[in-house]
Amino acid sequence: MKELKILLILVVVVLVGYWGIEPYAHSVMHGEVKKPDYNYSDLKTTAATTGDPAKGKELFVANCASCHGLKNDGINPGMDKNAAITSFNVVPPDLSNIAAILDHKFLAAFIKNPQQATENPKFAMPPMAQLSDEDVGHIIAYLSSVAKKNLDGKEITIEACGRCHSIKYQKIYAETPAENLKAYLGKVPPDLSVMGKAKELEYLETFINNPQNGLPGTSMPRLGLTKESTEKVVAYLDQIADPHREQRNKLGMWVIGYLVVMAGLTFAWKKKIWKNIH
Amino acid sequence: MKFMDWLDERLAVRQLIKVMLTEYYVPKNINFLWSFGVLIMVVFAILVVSGIFLLMYYKPDSHLAFDSVNKTIMMDVEYGWLFRHTHAVAASIMFLVLYVHMARGIYYGSFKAPREIVWITGYILFILMAATAFTGYLLPWGQMSYWAAQTITTLFEKIPFIGPDLVVWIRGNYIVEDATLTRFFALHVVFLPLLLIVFTGIHLYAVRIVGSNNEDGIELTKEEKKHGKGIPFWPVFMAKEFFVISVFLIFFFYLVFYQYKFAMDPINFTPADYLQTPTHIYPEWYFLAFYEVLRGFFFSQNLGLIAFVLSMFIAAFLPWLDTSPIRSGNHRPLYKILFFIFVADFVFLTILGKLPPTGLYAWLGFAGSLVYFAFFFALPIISRIEKKKLEGGR
Repeated sequence: MKELKILLILVVVVLVGYWGIEPYAHSVMHGEVKKPDYNYSDLKTTAATTGDPAKGKELFVANCASCHGLKNDGINPGMDKNAAITSFNVVPPDLSNIAAILDHKFLAAFIKNPQQATENPKFAMPPMAQLSDEDVGHIIAYLSSVAKKNLDGKEITIEACGRCHSIKYQKIYAETPAENLKAYLGKVPPDLSVMGKAKELEYLETFINNPQNGLPGTSMPRLGLTKESTEKVVAYLDQIADPHREQRNKLGMWVIGYLVVMAGLTFAWKKKIWKNIH
Repeated sequence: MKFMDWLDERLAVRQLIKVMLTEYYVPKNINFLWSFGVLIMVVFAILVVSGIFLLMYYKPDSHLAFDSVNKTIMMDVEYGWLFRHTHAVAASIMFLVLYVHMARGIYYGSFKAPREIVWITGYILFILMAATAFTGYLLPWGQMSYWAAQTITTLFEKIPFIGPDLVVWIRGNYIVEDATLTRFFALHVVFLPLLLIVFTGIHLYAVRIVGSNNEDGIELTKEEKKHGKGIPFWPVFMAKEFFVISVFLIFFFYLVFYQYKFAMDPINFTPADYLQTPTHIYPEWYFLAFYEVLRGFFFSQNLGLIAFVLSMFIAAFLPWLDTSPIRSGNHRPLYKILFFIFVADFVFLTILGKLPPTGLYAWLGFAGSLVYFAFFFALPIISRIEKKKLEGGR
């Protein structure tokens, strides 16, 4: 009984300490993580989000293809990669699947005013002021019609992050050279190999949804990913950062099971040895 | 038994077993807190074994260290993650068992005569273990590794006259860099463990000479222990010890597999970057109380530094601060109250140590630091009160 009392004191002291240095300290240091907003409700746009894909293709070729390619439909960009890097310090993305991973309302607002939508005043793409609200709808309809459906987490991550971020443990390297990114964004964006461990997943989701909510002042643009794409990206980053989770959970059960048996046996032995003592 | 005879002729093993185990008596009135010394040995063994395996793949080079830990060991090597988790959690838990072991010594007065050498060598072991943990923490070369080392080594700058030169000498560079990593590596894997083993030897030898203290703090002769008031170390004491170890290991491996995050800070999964200071820099939990004393004197850096050094070493002088003739806290009502205030204050300082040192937290840290020292400075006073009471009772 006396020993159990001592154990109880010990457990209480340890738990109070643990509560203080883990959950409590983290809540004080990081504050409340803002909830992601997948409606992008701060963006007010009158631009349409759907229309006629055929018209959209014409508009795309006339307005977008000088910088952006669209491999799914055999369209090559008007400017080669090196020329683009020299002019923008970043590679313009191929837009084959963009409509599958971005929210369409965001996309419409983005085409009209990329700087506002991304919350990055230095964003490389100029606003497409010449396009009418209907034109934007046609383009989005076209992009949706060519986009591959059901992309997996890795594909979305490469599409959404791969122009600037490397994931070197997966042998994925940023499309844009580091020195250009530094000129464009002020610093080389971090490698994402173990980002799933460096940040809480909840934080990552909020951050990807709107970087300014996680790290005010960051030069990372808002991407406008849909809820589904964001979750797939976070799940992918989590999985590559901790590839042995399943093995760990399984082995843990065996080890703890073994030790429970050992505790039973050692307890029985102690009882036997101590029978005649007292 | 022929082999035993052969060995006995050459090494006197039978005599050794008698002296060390079967006829070495520990008091009967001790509780499971007396098991923590052996638990420390268990955790130390776990650290050495897991450390050797990590050593096989770790690269002590500022360009390779982070990837060798987070890619090679954590992802590529079969069960490499298990050894890293085990090593990290064991390093953290080492301090939990150390603190319990020390707190037991403080409460039951195990530092008092004739056990001063036991206490002092134990305290040296604690400091050595702290140095081992500190040097080891730099090795993964993450952001927290880097900035913890940068911050702590900067403290030496304040030492009069030699400070600035000393910092450069410790780091091997003007900032924490590759040279710092390789020398910390050398200290962590060779020099400090060697010293730990030597002092563990002296510590255990001293315990064998003076024997274990007990709950009542009343000295027992060997004869008393042999006839009823004691139990032989083997097999009786160790039978209980094995059960305690088993229960401890359940807890330990639960942490290794399912609750390891407290020992592997998320910030440390970002590679070290000397251009980017993290928003919050804090040491591992086991240094937080001392760190909070350093920050507690927020109005004067120099005072904070003096208080920090004093807080780390003052407990070593317990045998001379507490001169009360009564040994065990069980029989010292005043001391008992002080002891539990001290424990609560230590936990309080630990929690504050991780919080931002601003506003109310800064003042609480100051108050907590004063309470910390008040415990030690109250000891001579209550010793006198107890002495007087004892003389008055006669």
